[in-house]
Amino acid sequence: MLLPQVLIDSLLLSGLYALMALGLALSFGVTNVLNFAHGEAIMLGAYGAFFMFSMFGIDPLLALPIVALIGFGAGYLLFETLLRRALHAPQINQILLTFGIGLILSNGAEIAFSPDMRSANPAYASKAILIGSAFVPVGRLAACVVAVVLSAALLWWLHRTEYGRACRAVAQNRLAATLSAINLNNVYAVAFGLSIAIAAATGAALSSVTPVTPFMGFHLLVKAFAIVVLGGMGSVGGALIGALLLGFLETLVAYFVPDGIGWAEGVAFAVLFAVLILRPGGVAGRAVHQ
Amino acid sequence: MSAPRPSGSGIAVLGAVVTLGALAVIPFNPPLLSDWLFRIAMLVMLAVSWNMMASAGMISLGHSAFWGLGGYCCALAANVLGVGFGMSFLAAAVVGAATGLVLALVTGRLRGVFFAVATLALSEGLRIAGLMLPDLTGGAAGLFLAPGARPPANLLYEVAVVAAALSVAITWLLFRTRLRFAVRAMRENEDAAQMLGINPLLFRALISAIAGAMAATAGGFNLWYSGYIAPDIAFTLHFAILAQIAVIIGGINTLAGPVIGAFLIIALSEVTRILVGSREGYSLLIYGVLLVAAISFLPNGLYGLLTHRRMRPTESA
Repeated sequence: MLLPQVLIDSLLLSGLYALMALGLALSFGVTNVLNFAHGEAIMLGAYGAFFMFSMFGIDPLLALPIVALIGFGAGYLLFETLLRRALHAPQINQILLTFGIGLILSNGAEIAFSPDMRSANPAYASKAILIGSAFVPVGRLAACVVAVVLSAALLWWLHRTEYGRACRAVAQNRLAATLSAINLNNVYAVAFGLSIAIAAATGAALSSVTPVTPFMGFHLLVKAFAIVVLGGMGSVGGALIGALLLGFLETLVAYFVPDGIGWAEGVAFAVLFAVLILRPGGVAGRAVHQ
Repeated sequence: MSAPRPSGSGIAVLGAVVTLGALAVIPFNPPLLSDWLFRIAMLVMLAVSWNMMASAGMISLGHSAFWGLGGYCCALAANVLGVGFGMSFLAAAVVGAATGLVLALVTGRLRGVFFAVATLALSEGLRIAGLMLPDLTGGAAGLFLAPGARPPANLLYEVAVVAAALSVAITWLLFRTRLRFAVRAMRENEDAAQMLGINPLLFRALISAIAGAMAATAGGFNLWYSGYIAPDIAFTLHFAILAQIAVIIGGINTLAGPVIGAFLIIALSEVTRILVGSREGYSLLIYGVLLVAAISFLPNGLYGLLTHRRMRPTESA
């Protein structure tokens, strides 16, 4: 019976997608700058986890908090040095600026780490457990559980802490947030740093599941875009729904379409294009119109 | 920022002189110099096309979609239909224009960053379609031009220079009309432009079709130059990125900017090739640094820097 396997594969994929898209949605929702270098932050997190595993034998999931912390610092600094000055610039400057940062990071990684495919392989990563008639790969399961826990933590932070609420207030209405004595500049930098921390954590979780390469970020970025657009720009709940939808669609295509594994890579692009055209507000989000 | 507009007819005359000069010397040039000229001409076409869309507020990150389609068009026209060198460009331009038209029509509701994401998706989607439809495109293995179909190198170079000059001339003529006011209004605020009686969709479709035809033609030249095409070459973001950087460094929303930028980028790529070898990573890293630096410190590009003092207040902003 194929169905339980499809279900399990889709869910395991969706967990990672959700984390990936949440980071992107957070920075876009708060700062209103769409970060085209988000994929490169994921890539660097994956390399961080890989090197900690291969050099010191640290499990990628234990390395995750470390790379996330470094990611936060790096994101905060990046925002303060380069992005802050572009906040009020025309949108084209913001797009090309983050695009250029991504170009620097991915090609810097190619020079520093070589274009070889790497993978962190702890002993459990290649094991699988049998539930009913379906195989559950332990490595993917662990990565997915971590992704779900982190997503839940982010949601808790956004709704239950002072800073998280400030972030949501800024995303909803900048002016009203300022009038409520929220320090915009601080919230921007913290939200951006946090979004990079989440990206780095996503990378660490991915490092034992998919091959780590300098240019992995671009494809992940387009998938994250697709999810965020599918769910509605800047909506966290929407991003979760979008991640589930994309995970299921890709798995279904991979299983049931001839040559499906190759076509599955294109699902994100088709979805992205279709949603932008048919329903630019996403399934649960604000409209695309400015 | 002023819209792409002639600052007197000086640029036009200068451009014509340079073009005629380039045409005259190509047969006597050492091959390397002609090769540079050809690559500059190709990049000028792509950069002019990108700049034209950007000046109407359409920021394309997927210009490689047009570029790659143009390449495939020429390859298929030559191999399957037996069409010659000259006519294949017509096919590429028509397909490019049609793609641009469709892109503008289906993304009619999308602004700024959302349009950019849609173009990115278009280019990547085409790359995957190219890989997955081997009957048409040869799949990952790619397509070779039929042997004997390629024109003599000097003819290819001359046609490319003429095409590049044409693309600049078309932009110049186009932006001599009222179009430039409409386009500038759309770039600043599309909703307000609409209230002034401008039909944004019409102008977007027009600009996107012309720009698409230009970029596809440039991609066609690349095919006739290399004789080989594959999805990862056709739809690589490499040339699209070069075109963006050329425009940003030269001066966005100006007529001369993309041309200045194209010369600089090819010069730079030769310098990096000599200094660090042909490894793509280094040159792209340098382009990335240039892009970030130019956006942060020189948002009006070199042309803006040169003409800053002469600009009247009404022309800026």
